[in-house]
This record gives sequence, structure tokens and C-alpha cells, in this order.
Amino acid sequence: MAILNKPDKVHQAIAWHGDIPITNRYTAGVAGERFFREVKENGKFMGTRCPECDLIYVPATMFCERCFAELDEWVQVENQGQVVTYTILYWDLDDQPLAVPLVLALVQLDGSDGGLVHYLGETDPEDVYIGMEVEAVLKDPAEREGSILDIRHFRPIQV
Amino acid sequence: MAMRKVAVVGAGMTRFVRRALETGKELSYEASKMALDYCDLTLDEVDCVVHGTAPDSFDGVHMKGEYLSDGSGAWRKPYTRCYVGGGTGVFAPIHGWYHVASGLFDICLVVCEEKMSSCQPHPQGAFLTIFDHTTERPLKPNLLWIFAMEMNRYMHTYGLKKEDIALVSVKNKRNAADHPCSLLGDANITLQDVLNSEVLAWPVQRLDVSPVTDGAVALVLAAEHVARRICDKPIWIEGVGWNLDTAYWTNRDLCYPRYVEKAARMAYEMAGITEPRKQIHIAEPYDPFDYKELHHLEGLMLFDRGKAPEATALGITQRNGDLPVCPSGGLLGVGNPIAAAGLMKVAELFWQLRGEAGARQVPGQPRRGVAQAWGDLMQVGTVAVLGV
Ligand SMILES: [Zn+2]
Repeated sequence: MAILNKPDKVHQAIAWHGDIPITNRYTAGVAGERFFREVKENGKFMGTRCPECDLIYVPATMFCERCFAELDEWVQVENQGQVVTYTILYWDLDDQPLAVPLVLALVQLDGSDGGLVHYLGETDPEDVYIGMEVEAVLKDPAEREGSILDIRHFRPIQV
Repeated sequence: MAMRKVAVVGAGMTRFVRRALETGKELSYEASKMALDYCDLTLDEVDCVVHGTAPDSFDGVHMKGEYLSDGSGAWRKPYTRCYVGGGTGVFAPIHGWYHVASGLFDICLVVCEEKMSSCQPHPQGAFLTIFDHTTERPLKPNLLWIFAMEMNRYMHTYGLKKEDIALVSVKNKRNAADHPCSLLGDANITLQDVLNSEVLAWPVQRLDVSPVTDGAVALVLAAEHVARRICDKPIWIEGVGWNLDTAYWTNRDLCYPRYVEKAARMAYEMAGITEPRKQIHIAEPYDPFDYKELHHLEGLMLFDRGKAPEATALGITQRNGDLPVCPSGGLLGVGNPIAAAGLMKVAELFWQLRGEAGARQVPGQPRRGVAQAWGDLMQVGTVAVLGV
């Protein structure tokens, strides 16, 4: 199997850079539009409930993936919840070191069966733990755009 | 169901390298040609071709299934590309299997390829686009966070330490030292090396992760009457399974891959396996990260939940242990050209069960093995059981 013995040195190969120039314009969807409007206009997190499966989806969904019911029961959930898991990032997308490590957490919002992934701020990375109680910090109403970034980050709840 | 028996009768594999001179087409050609040569078949004897390859953005070629078709031997043949993310490498032979089991074709060439070095400056950037465009992409995720969070949850649930998990990386990189195609085989790597490697996204460190790789692997599948004619020891595809969990990964139990269990149950039932721990002699679970091998061994029901780390520490999963796991060296050692890496696991079972694995050969004449891959938005499990 001669191919197995080929050298791995191809630094001399002729190479060039190219790209695939595409940009996109997305919508949040029927349920997503309402979810993000509630955050933007009222600072509230809303989920949709499936009565059949007894699940509250957050972010809200238009349908239940388990039983295929169309969901129209909207319920408010808490702006706070628990850290289900987290990571501390030291490197960026281009494999370059970050000047300041970033904490990302999966937060299950109280009163729901789902959660949001977001930054965890106003804490030392060393102090974060699974089960920590955290709350969402929203941007000022005038700054909100109906995006996940309307949440600045989550932070530990001061007891 | 009246299904025909299907065997693997040939396999080919390029070296896994960091940056190949070959184009993706050429890598596909090299692996395909080796697989056909292995069983003395010519291209005109191939009835259909199945290709498996991961996101287009890795190779930087839009609709790369079509682009790769000629190198995969598909000229003027029935050809399809299948794709379930990282799970593709074990799904592609399943896709090939139903082409032949159905009776539609007698000989199917299955090819998997990835040329990740095309993606600049790092393929991690391409992963940004797999996350939800509304809830996740604005946060600029990278590939690692989702896995780092899953690994953290796994460690937390079972009270595991980094050392318990890093042993997998040591085992697989050492095993890969015996693989002629390996990128990262290292017979002398130690637990300390892994634990001292830089932290990327805690708890994931550099040596917990498989590397960006270029490479291709191909298999030839044949219906029973053809297999018995052209092959002295066909390796039968005894069972296949695949299963998908919710794409809302935030709503899923992160410490146990239930979708892998469901895929495994489907494959075991087809293969007539009732006691996998006794009836399976080799496992090649998907190991892009060291904790994933453990996760998957538990999903495959080869160890109790949370107990795969202990089995690893006891040496049970070593090449000469009671259940050799990733004797190939896996993705952590041989390399991770996504789809090709998954198919490499099935090729490894082919070589192992034929007794042709050379320095990697598992002792005791193993008669049955399971290969598994995982991917999409970390919620697909693909499983194949092969036997003598
Ligand atoms: Zn439901």
C-alpha cells in the first residue's frame, strides 16, 4: 500500500484563498417572534406548554416535537434559574487565545423544561458551579432589538 | 421483512494527515481504488455508489457530494450522498447496506471523505453556522462549548475527575502508534501529558480533542451470493441502527446519550444480540473527545451508566483487555476527518475480524464487533454490528 508511505510535507503545494460570498436574513419564526417581542417590549420570558406531554418549551415553540400538537398555551416563566452546566472558554473561534476567559452556561429557567445558553457575568469563573442560582440581566428597554443579545448575560443571584 | 445478507468484502484507507496535497476527489479515489483492489473488483462491476461527507464548509465546496462523485467511482452510476454530521461515517455503510439488502443492487461502493484543511483559519469557524441562527449564533459559539458543557455535566453527574477521562486519550493515542495511517499515534504519551495540555474550554484540554484531519476511507459491500464468490472470509453486517434525539440540545439529558441506546437496541435486535457484554468482542465507539468514548460505551450498554471510566482505569478496554475499545487508535489517535473517521471504525472491524489488523490485532480471534458514530447537533447515534 504505497499510499500509506506518502510524505506528509506539502508546504510547497500551490495554494490560494477563496470564499463563498453568502449572507443571510433570518426570521425567528411564528413562536420565536412572540418570544423575542415579549423580551424586548416587556422584559418577560414566555414559554409554550404542551398539555398532552406536560412540557413547557423555552424558548417557545410553535409545536410539540414529541406529540406534534400545535401549541397555543403561552405561559410566563421566571427570569431566573439554575446552571445545568457551564464551560470556561480560553480560545476564540480562530483558535487564538482570549484576553479574558469567558463563562458560558446552560441555564434552565424556573417554571420551564427548557433553557437558554448564555454568558455568565459579574462573577469570577472560579466561583461558578453546577446548580448555581442565576438571573438574566437585560439591556435597557431602549437598547433592545428583539434578539438573544437583549439579554446581556446571566449573573449569580445575591442572597 | 425479507432482507438479503450483506457483507463487507473490501476496505481501503488513505493516510490521515493534517494537510493533504490531494484534493478531496483524489483522496476519495485513493481509498476507493484500494478497496476495489483489495477484493479484485473493477469499477464496472460496481452497481452503485454511496458517499458520506460532513458539512460542505469543511472542504469549502458547495454541494460537495457532486464534486466528489467522480473520485468516488460514481461516473454513470446510481449515486447518493448521505449526511448526518459526525454520525455520517457509520451511517454511510448503513445507507449502502439497504441498497444491497433490499435486493436493488449486488455490489455497492461506500466512500467517506473529508478535507478539513481547506477551511481557514480553522474549521471551528465553520461550526458557527451549525448552531441555531436565532438563539445561539449571536453569542458566537464555537464547536467546543457544546461539548465542554456536556463533558462537565457528565463529570458532575458521576463525580468523575479529569484523570478518569484523560486515560481514554492516552489509550487511544498509544493504540494509534500501531496504525500505519495515523496522524497522532504516540506510544509514549502519558496521563500527565494530557492533563498538562492547554485548557481550551474547561474541562476540555488540547489533548482531550481529536485533531483536524484530511483523509478518506472506502468499503465494498456485496450481496451474499457475490460475497461468497469473491471473498474468502466475508464480514457480515449483522445489524444496523440509527436514531435522532431532539435538536434542542438545551432540553436534553446531557449525561447519557439515549439516542445511542435506541440506535444500539435497533442494531442488536437485528443481529440477535441479547447480551451485548458477552456477545460483542470489540467496540469502536466514536471518540472525537475522550469523554465521548465513555459516554458512548454506556449508550451502547457495554458498561453501566457512569461506569465506563472505572472499566478504562482497570484496563478492560485495552487492546488485550476483556473488551478492547478503539484498538484502531480511534479519532483521538488516528485522526478525525469527520465522515472518513467514522467509516475507519467499520473498516477496523473488517480488518480485526479477518485477523488482518497486524500490530493492532486484538487477541483471541474476535468474532463480532460494534462500530458507532455520533453527530448532527450532538443528538444522532449510528450503530453497525459486524460479525464473522
Ligand atoms: Zn406534546
